[in-house]
Amino acid sequence: MIRSKKLTWALALPALALIFVFMILPITNMVEMSFRTPGSSEPFGEDYTWMHYTRILGDGYYWGVLRRSLYTAGIVTLLCLVVSYPIAWHLSRAKGFKAVFLYACIASPLMTGVLVRNFGWMIVAALNGPLNESLIALGIIERPLRLLFTQSLVILALVHVFVPFMVLPINNALRNIPQSLTEASASMGASRYQVFRDIILPLSFPGIQPGVILVYVLAVAAYVTPALLGGQMVSYMPTLIIGELTGTFQWPFGSALAIVLSFSTVLVVVLFTRLTWKLNERARA
Amino acid sequence: MSMAAQTFGGQRSVNLGFAVLIIALYIFLLVPVVTIVGASLTDGLMIEFPPRGLSLRWYQEFFARQDLVDGLLMSLRIGAITAVVTSTVAMMAALAGQGLSGRLSGLFQLGMTLPLLVPELLTAVGLLFFLYKIELGKTVTGLQFGHILMSFPYAYVSISAALRQVPPSLEEASASLGATGWQTFRLVILPLVMPGLAMGAIFAFINSFDLYTISLLLKPLGGNTLPLALFDFLTYEFKPTAAAAATISILLSIGGVALVQKLVGLQRAF
Repeated sequence: MIRSKKLTWALALPALALIFVFMILPITNMVEMSFRTPGSSEPFGEDYTWMHYTRILGDGYYWGVLRRSLYTAGIVTLLCLVVSYPIAWHLSRAKGFKAVFLYACIASPLMTGVLVRNFGWMIVAALNGPLNESLIALGIIERPLRLLFTQSLVILALVHVFVPFMVLPINNALRNIPQSLTEASASMGASRYQVFRDIILPLSFPGIQPGVILVYVLAVAAYVTPALLGGQMVSYMPTLIIGELTGTFQWPFGSALAIVLSFSTVLVVVLFTRLTWKLNERARA
Repeated sequence: MSMAAQTFGGQRSVNLGFAVLIIALYIFLLVPVVTIVGASLTDGLMIEFPPRGLSLRWYQEFFARQDLVDGLLMSLRIGAITAVVTSTVAMMAALAGQGLSGRLSGLFQLGMTLPLLVPELLTAVGLLFFLYKIELGKTVTGLQFGHILMSFPYAYVSISAALRQVPPSLEEASASLGATGWQTFRLVILPLVMPGLAMGAIFAFINSFDLYTISLLLKPLGGNTLPLALFDFLTYEFKPTAAAAATISILLSIGGVALVQKLVGLQRAF
């Protein structure tokens, strides 16, 4: 590539400025905000304090909400992996027009807003909605279940939101596994299950790991789904944070909550990466 | 029954089971969208699926609601500006990224996709304070910057993928024939990356059109985007108008995806 250094930086400048000014600076700002004293007329005060962190860490209520958020995101990630893996496998085998059609099916949820999809689940899960009716028709339940505003529905909707984020990296990893490898082991007498357990699963791990991390990080901080489908009874960290920021205008306290949440998420991700490091190494070898 | 026949029978039932599972999972993916489109066509007074009779009355109702139509117009305007700005800035950044190598290149890629990797909630909270500080709080301009930031990675990823497909020899040939850098870009590179550029712009538009959390926190005074207006509508009135509004935004997305498919083919898009 024949391009001078000066020109390269000149071309990169607007994008770098965009990311720096409207993302790095604001997030740094949020860290600073979390140490501000509460304001009386303004949303924040002039001085600095640790009080928001001591308040959060000293209050069992916030620990409970944090635990619920981290735990729910874990369940969502796990279910998402279970749902996405077969889809990714199927997608990685498809060719030609069929592949395009399947990509469209998977991309279509990615391309419709989270709010719209959650609204779809509201209709599906209504008391006399299609889900209840089909369960009754199948004889699984006798009378309609109250599904709306339950934690299970929040989890279901979140899984739906994040499936594409999991399918696409796993699909990439599966596509990189040479077909000759699975054929060879099958011809040497390995059963389908053995081929899957000993070859496909370990080799697809480089796709599973980023998928899991991305979905977990996004699921912990998801706001719309719990706000719309979770009802008033159960709080999650994101709904609490937005409540502090827009409802009561406690900007410093809201920031501290956001930072506690981010810090815990990073801890979980680091722990996960460490625990699964060996699996990834094995796939690379 | 011989051994071979037994295994064969086992294979077949495994295959069948897998096919059923796959179909069920694809149904799961499509259910909410299909339900909304169906519910929007009802002739009845309630949001329900399957719809009670067919009509377009709730679309009429949608276009008669000033708050929802204003939301739609605002979303369209913000989305259009976002598409133009992000694709221009991302085109430049992709050209720059091509000139980098090694660790710097990886770091640059990471930086450019940062808004996609950091949860929207954190960016939104940070921007809320920052825009307040630079006196753009609760303004349409502030919200516009938020949308540009959040949609930028989509444009960048599409455009830099398209740029990677252009053989470097073309650029060298053009330069050796005496073309200036700008001529090479305009006459050689730009036509070749055009589909990727268009795809980036479309994805940026769709993403901006669907953003919720960031719009909620940066909501300008007296203005609503369509998702915000829809959320408010759903909280106070649960009528099929909402399904009509949601269907309109689904149609916009499908139109966008179809356009991308026509321009580049979906498989290359991801």
